[in-house]
Amino acid sequence: MSELLRIEDLSAAAEDKELLHGVSLEVSEGETHVVMGHNGAGKSTLGSVIMGSPEYKVTGGKLIFDGEDITALGADKRARLGIFLSFQNPIEIPGITLSDFLRNALEQVTGKHLKLWDFKKKLAAAMELLDMDSSYADRDLNVGFSGGEKKKAEILQLLILEPKLAILDETDSGLDVDAVKTVSKGIEEYKKRTNGALIVITHNTKILEALTVDKTHILSAGSIVSEGGAELVDEVIENGFEQFAGRE
Amino acid sequence: MKGKTQVVDIDRSRYDFRYEEDESEYLESGIAPEIIKAISDEKNDPDWMREFRLKSLEIYDRTPMVDWGPDISGLNVDSIVAYIRQKNRMKTDWEDVPEDIKETFEKLGIPQAERESLAGVGAQYDSELVYHNVRQEVAQSGVVYTDLESAMHDPKYAEIIKSHFMKLVPPTDHKFAALHGAVWSGGSFVYVPKNVHLDIPLQSYFRLNAKGAGQFEHTLIILEENSYLHFIEGCSAPKYYEASLHAGCVELYVGKGAKLRYSTIENWSKNMYNLNTKRALVEENGTIEWVSGSFGSHVSYLYPMSILNGRGASAEFTGITFAGEGQNLDTGAKMVHNAPETSSYMNTKSISKSGGVSTFRSAVVVKENAKGSKSSVNCESLMLDSISRSDTVPVMDIRTKQCDIGHEAKIGRISDETVFYLMSRGLSEEQARAMIVRGFADNVSKELPLEYAVEMNNLIGLEMQGGIG
Amino acid sequence: MNNMSETKINILPVPTFRWLGVNDYKHDIKEFKTDSSEISVSENESKSEVVYIDREGSSDIHISAENGSKVKLVQVFDVKGQAKSKVTAELGENATLELVELFLGGEVVSEIVTDLKGRKASFEADIGFKLDDGDKLDINLLADHHGRKTVSRINASGVLGGDAEKTFKGTIDFKNGSDGAKGAEKEEVLLMSDTAVNKTVPLILCAEENVEGSHGASVGRIDEKQFFYMQSRGIDEEKIYDLAAQAKLAKVISRIDDKETLARIYARLGRGDESE
Repeated sequence: MSELLRIEDLSAAAEDKELLHGVSLEVSEGETHVVMGHNGAGKSTLGSVIMGSPEYKVTGGKLIFDGEDITALGADKRARLGIFLSFQNPIEIPGITLSDFLRNALEQVTGKHLKLWDFKKKLAAAMELLDMDSSYADRDLNVGFSGGEKKKAEILQLLILEPKLAILDETDSGLDVDAVKTVSKGIEEYKKRTNGALIVITHNTKILEALTVDKTHILSAGSIVSEGGAELVDEVIENGFEQFAGRE
Repeated sequence: MKGKTQVVDIDRSRYDFRYEEDESEYLESGIAPEIIKAISDEKNDPDWMREFRLKSLEIYDRTPMVDWGPDISGLNVDSIVAYIRQKNRMKTDWEDVPEDIKETFEKLGIPQAERESLAGVGAQYDSELVYHNVRQEVAQSGVVYTDLESAMHDPKYAEIIKSHFMKLVPPTDHKFAALHGAVWSGGSFVYVPKNVHLDIPLQSYFRLNAKGAGQFEHTLIILEENSYLHFIEGCSAPKYYEASLHAGCVELYVGKGAKLRYSTIENWSKNMYNLNTKRALVEENGTIEWVSGSFGSHVSYLYPMSILNGRGASAEFTGITFAGEGQNLDTGAKMVHNAPETSSYMNTKSISKSGGVSTFRSAVVVKENAKGSKSSVNCESLMLDSISRSDTVPVMDIRTKQCDIGHEAKIGRISDETVFYLMSRGLSEEQARAMIVRGFADNVSKELPLEYAVEMNNLIGLEMQGGIG
Repeated sequence: MNNMSETKINILPVPTFRWLGVNDYKHDIKEFKTDSSEISVSENESKSEVVYIDREGSSDIHISAENGSKVKLVQVFDVKGQAKSKVTAELGENATLELVELFLGGEVVSEIVTDLKGRKASFEADIGFKLDDGDKLDINLLADHHGRKTVSRINASGVLGGDAEKTFKGTIDFKNGSDGAKGAEKEEVLLMSDTAVNKTVPLILCAEENVEGSHGASVGRIDEKQFFYMQSRGIDEEKIYDLAAQAKLAKVISRIDDKETLARIYARLGRGDESE
């Protein structure tokens, strides 16, 4: 399998405080990676930096996606290359409906004009899969959505945009059992359709049940302190993170 | 819950004593060229200052009355005594200050404060500074703290004064700025050299004792690069029935990376027309912080302006205004963003009671060149009864797309739910209401040095008196 | 037609610093013949009117809404040249006025004075604007709360491009006797150019204790978080501004239900497909 994303010795800071210190990681096409760690370990920072959030400044190292150095690219360019981030806290955008927003995004990502009718059909199908009421399509994006609905709306966007790499930042947190199931179903569907790669940031195993994990990375205080296969996930669940601390 | 809580007026008795002044020391009342010349003679003004005063008088004569804000028709400038001569020259040893004046300031706790927590003190009584002193170690660091007249005659500072005096607030600014330019007297000159940090504050205290008089002190502060200063200004006067006028002027120059905190507790008596002008010019990465408590005066016009003139400059204004019976206090701030990446914050509270009128008035101007600037304004008003009045008059003038400007304002009363909540935890209604009013003022009082916060609490003297049923 | 008017217009109820230039409308407006009309609604009736102003002129509409009546007035301004509009309203007990004003171009001076006279009278105003080179807009809106438990809600939002100049003066005035009244005002302005001028002047005047008043304003660029979120979905800066501009008008437009008017608005905004 060929390499999709290569993170080389990446350091990043927010407001002059370095949060990631020399992180390296490789993801090949179709792989599923899990990133675990305590709150504040830098997991979400890593996801946001891969997407190109202006909140963080890359202070060292680089990001190579599909053979291209994307370290200096804006988020929109990265999205068009095929990177997707499911936000931990999706942003509310008053005045723009979910449907309108997603249609615009899809046109920009694919560079093709889409007939309204075709888009609506595609959207309706994906919403049905995610048990989303069709009325959400005409509601302002994420505005007044419950926590669960927001997460579903993220997965809905994943299904429509079909990126090559999806980063799921705590997509399962704060969801009840049924909602986790629905969201998992969406992720499975994405894998099935596109064989896209996944970076799953979580501290829960529920969302991983339906997925075949290839690699696990444990992050602590901004550095990767341990790596392994799927078995590492179980080890963490059983014994916690403490054992990895300082095991650089 | 029918009972209305009474918030008792600020207890001013502490400030309401006075001494008989010797009438022969008065200059004639009114504003005329002869009077201006007499002031110049008295002060032995350099030529440029003589001209400046007369020019200002001309501007005063042709400038129309201010056309915003509270009514000031009760003020007859022609009956105001612009200048009161002091029998004795300024002292640097407290023991040498004349007995009656000394007693006045002692009652106000000034010498004690100096001993305990200040780096230097200036005290102005009517028109002239009567006392000025700085700690030795402060003076040795190169800090200058003296009265403006002495500095003007000192060859070391004469040029600095000439090139800065009323350059930020020109006499053409408004009628009372012109008046100030003509009759100014007293005030302070502070100079803080590069990289000098004064950890303890300097303080000026202004006391207007004579009746029917005006006080027109001028404060000029210059902070060189990367220096720090906290300057405190306190004002009070006993109550007379004749109107008094305070038209001071404060000009602050904050150099690159320097930081100035300017705190004011204003407690003029209720016959005072307080028409004060304050302005700061802030260079690259410099900071001005205003903390302002307005409690006294019959009428107040006070809106310190911060001109953010260098990249990364910032300004913060925290203020509280308490308007009680017979008071009309028009206060606020102005922020002018004139360079990229500048930021301004305004946080104000006002309380109106017993027929008092408080107005929050502000301006935030973001110019074309202020790209990447931020401003946030937050003002809250509390009405304690229905015979009072509270107005909010903010203006935003924004001329660049690359900025984030936010504004929030709220007006209301003490909420019954909050009172109920506190009562459910065992507080009486009076205690609950008192706590809420105190809490309302809290974010300002916590910005003040401790002894001033205590002073402010005394000043508010919020005595709550229940009336249930 | 070319006599410049000498009397001051759109006067701010409480004047402020002269140098800010907001105390009245500072440009000259031609002396038009004023077209006056009256909308009277009797008790418990309701009336709705839509006006599309695309020619120069001056209009004066007086609304009198009796107890329990409902009035809705929509005015869309898209002029080449100047227009002057004045709406005065008097609301009885439980009467409601819904006012929508949308500004798409020209030099427009609009004054709105609503007297919330009767108990529980309510006033909702939605003001939208999308202005570009050469456009000028000066709005002076007053909600005078006289009656007890009266309610006003004022929302203004819009986009300024080119060298457009806009001043929105919105005043909530709690008069003596307006016990239990509530008023809320909000303005959101998106600036699309560095030559546009936005002035926001939200006043609250209060002479009554038991009232609740608030105003909020946000002016400038798109919120950073929103911007990144949209960008992360592949949308570029230009399109993001496009969408944000649409969003600023969406709420105001959603208050208009007249099909024909909507079609005209969408055609003007170059969004033909939305009226389907």
